[in-house]
Amino acid sequence: MSPGAALSAETHAKETAAPVLSVRDLRISFPSEAGTVEAVRGISFDLLPGRTLGIVGESGSGKSATAMGIMGLLPPSATAGGSVLLGGRDLVGMDDRALSRVRGRSIGMVFQDPLSSLTPIFSVGRLLSDALRVHQDLTRQAAWERAVELLDLVGIPAPRERAGAFPHEFSGGMRQRVVIAMAIANRPSVLVADEPTTALDVTVQAQILDVLRLAQRETGAGLVLITHDLGVVAGHADDVAVMYAGRFVERAGVDELFHRPTMPYTARLLAAVPTVDGGTPRPLVPIGGEPPVLVDLPAGCPFAARCAVAVDACADTEPELRSVPGHGEVACLRAEAVAEGLLDPSGPDAPDAPAPAPAPAPGTGPTRVGEVVLRVEDLVKTFPVTKGGLLKRRVGTVHAVNGVGFELRAGETLGLVGESGSGKTTTLLEILRLSRPEGGRIEIAGVDVGAQDAAERVRGLRRDVQIVMQDPLGALDPRLTVRRLLAEPLQAVGQDRTSILGRVEELLALVGLDSAVGDRFPAALSGGQRQRVAIARALATEPKLLALDEPLSALDVSVQAGVINLLARLKRELSLAYLVVSHDLGVVRHVSDRVAVMYLGRIVESGTTESVFSDPRHPYTRALLSAIPLPDPRRERTRERVVLEGEQPSATRPPTGCVFVDRCPLYRVADDGTRRRCLTHRPEQVRVTERPDHQYACHLA
Amino acid sequence: MPGGEVRLVVRHVTRKATGWLLMIVVATNVTYLLASFFLDPRSNFKDLRPVRSEAQIDRALAPYNLDPRVPLVDRWWDWLTSVVLHFDWGRSPTGVSVNGEIGYRSLVSAELVVLSLVFSVLAGVALGVYTASRQYGWSDRVSQAVSVVVFNVPTSVAALAVVFVAIWLNQHAGLHFLYVAGENAPGVQGLLPTVGDRLLHLILPTLTLTLMGYVGYHLTQRSLLLDTINADFVRTAQATGLTRSQAIRRHALRTALIPTATSVAFSVPAVFTGAIVTETIFGWSGMGSYFIQTISKNDVHGTVATAAFAAALTAIGAILADVATVFLDPRVRVS
Repeated sequence: MSPGAALSAETHAKETAAPVLSVRDLRISFPSEAGTVEAVRGISFDLLPGRTLGIVGESGSGKSATAMGIMGLLPPSATAGGSVLLGGRDLVGMDDRALSRVRGRSIGMVFQDPLSSLTPIFSVGRLLSDALRVHQDLTRQAAWERAVELLDLVGIPAPRERAGAFPHEFSGGMRQRVVIAMAIANRPSVLVADEPTTALDVTVQAQILDVLRLAQRETGAGLVLITHDLGVVAGHADDVAVMYAGRFVERAGVDELFHRPTMPYTARLLAAVPTVDGGTPRPLVPIGGEPPVLVDLPAGCPFAARCAVAVDACADTEPELRSVPGHGEVACLRAEAVAEGLLDPSGPDAPDAPAPAPAPAPGTGPTRVGEVVLRVEDLVKTFPVTKGGLLKRRVGTVHAVNGVGFELRAGETLGLVGESGSGKTTTLLEILRLSRPEGGRIEIAGVDVGAQDAAERVRGLRRDVQIVMQDPLGALDPRLTVRRLLAEPLQAVGQDRTSILGRVEELLALVGLDSAVGDRFPAALSGGQRQRVAIARALATEPKLLALDEPLSALDVSVQAGVINLLARLKRELSLAYLVVSHDLGVVRHVSDRVAVMYLGRIVESGTTESVFSDPRHPYTRALLSAIPLPDPRRERTRERVVLEGEQPSATRPPTGCVFVDRCPLYRVADDGTRRRCLTHRPEQVRVTERPDHQYACHLA
Repeated sequence: MPGGEVRLVVRHVTRKATGWLLMIVVATNVTYLLASFFLDPRSNFKDLRPVRSEAQIDRALAPYNLDPRVPLVDRWWDWLTSVVLHFDWGRSPTGVSVNGEIGYRSLVSAELVVLSLVFSVLAGVALGVYTASRQYGWSDRVSQAVSVVVFNVPTSVAALAVVFVAIWLNQHAGLHFLYVAGENAPGVQGLLPTVGDRLLHLILPTLTLTLMGYVGYHLTQRSLLLDTINADFVRTAQATGLTRSQAIRRHALRTALIPTATSVAFSVPAVFTGAIVTETIFGWSGMGSYFIQTISKNDVHGTVATAAFAAALTAIGAILADVATVFLDPRVRVS
């Protein structure tokens, strides 16, 4: 089917089969202490067999409630209205018993977190055969055989042996394969995948998306793919619906949508995604404000308050989804103007010029690079693996960090990138520990933290090194107000009351928070505000080095861009040094001056961000970059990608030669002599000619 | 379960049982040493008239291996060898054989403790499951309130209340099978009547101990199940086509029972302590009353035998818990 034909459900209905799933005016609400939350406010769509509808939205947009509503898995307190027609029957209003006959047989579901979505006390074979036997009259033996076949289909190696294994014996990616196998066990006609790859590493994400596609082909099912990741949608959906405040605000074929997003929200969302492709990173344009709370929504377009092109009429009535020629359906009064290219959704002030950025992008502006703030040489950290209950025996060693070294100067950002288990967070924590490392040297602001005589000076370093955590809600004490949260580090270093009061106000202003926020508790703040508080708290003692552990992964895309810009401004104004740990290469590209790619406890490639992203040398870096889905359907479909097989091995027994050898695509095609070298000799760091800062560790590249 | 797995389970349980046996040995020996330090059998003779000399007293104690002039280590060794070789737990300061006393009493007490433990677990877990699936409903609130009140009533008060209610029932409803004293009626002949008579006597004490014991299981099982009832894997199970109650029963409950099974083992000492009071009130001559009696009479060997009995009960509870865990959690079999 040509992608251009993917316009609206009606067009397809004429040329292909009847829809397998028809949702009409679905409404879902939950009671809450603040009032009734209208999570879904009337959405309609048709899903055709074999097609994929991507539903994109930020947290709280109602996309997960939609999935649960379709599956009939809403909590008992929720009320649902409208209709969900599947095979001629309306699922809304069915009781649990009737729904249970539909679930698993006609609709299969893939959940977000594979680590918690499998019952820990049953073997995966048992889980799968149970799923089969709920709907099919199979003997135990026959169900087990079928379970093994399904495991084989979704790519579990040695399925017959592994069927008896328990979920905890599988990695996250493998568990998600099992969840997919369970979802397709009874060959349903509809598959619902709710953020199926959000909890997974990027190279594993690519594999799981392939499995999902395979599962869809195998069953011919229609797929509802729910995600916040525009890149995933671009590569895998036929049609896309953008959800905002419980409604579809734009629905179109994937090419039309990405070619010219017509609803201002969609356009701004796309502009706020940090990407890894192209030349110099374009500045990110955050969407101001926060998504609305879905309790007692005022009249008018819910996006109007954040919209740069809103007119007075936008505040009066909420626009209906209506068809715009060539652009699917859009719920915006100004859709025609945007569609024809007469109106730039980022704002009327800048019709043609690039969107006004509050701060120039990092890396492009002049960064004053100063003295070395952090020097790490040959850092080693191992963890013992023990066995047995009462008397623990040491049965192995995890080489979490294995000879890592880098330098970081004032006014500079170093991004440590890698998948989970690569040792990046351990490296960060070892630096923050401020004591003699197990192996190697750590020097902060000229002080060797391992030196015997440095104890006093190391204590002074505490205020020079601060951390910002991944989840601000978990990192901020819920019982302290923002003002007290900010005062705490100042009290700890022994400042007096009056200077603390002044400094707290200063800090609030510094991170762009209103003084009124100071009296609130963290729970009353939005995600973006919380992360700003966490940053302000880290800055309280005027540190030289700020360690940021996945600082943006808990934030929505539209809010992320604002924090990225804030970090860039703070770095410039305070000439801070940032050590950013992240698995999100797009984010790293936007915040870092230099990057270091880690794999299995070692740095495999490092250099300036520009150099590494435009000309990656190490096969792992290449694979990592190519695994990231681009929010551009044309390039996403055509580009060549390096899909890595398998997963990062355990660091218990790292290979004697190159750490990447198990998964290396270059190794697979190399001749025997080179292979032997890869297996036995650890590659040295090689400098790229003419770019001495860019180095990588590979025999073959 | 295939043969290989049965072997694994047997090995697992045997290993655990060996550990517990070791624990009993250590606990009993430590109790012996402590009891020898703190209990002074000589004081039993101090009040006797005519007044005995120290030497007389010591001589009187010597045949029972309680002579304080003999070094503790020697006494301990004699005691240990007689326990290990002849299963003879020694004699009281007045020469009564401990074996003769505990033989019958341990049966009586074990019956009481084990039965009430089983009933507490059953009632508590059932109530916990019932109320967890009706969280914040009226049955949940009422049963929780009742449980909290019962939890705060001391055993002696509860036992007396049970006695009063039983007497009232006996009088008003014409019931005559609720016995409020003793563990059996005198003069009952034949096997079946004896068993029946004993069971009738068991009703009230067991009821009392069950009342004392079930609350813990109710409240913990309720919160354990509430933790898993909304777990992702229960939702996954529903997505495969189970109804909510099926998913809870097959996936959430089984997972939530594992910690309960473990905790049963460690509640045996508490039940035993409760039994001491209960036995006193219901006029049972069981291990509980024997325990108090031996301590007040400075009976070192009797005290140690009671401690060993409690340790053995705990071990039995723990082994049963291990077996239950193995059946609930197949992961134990593999690792």
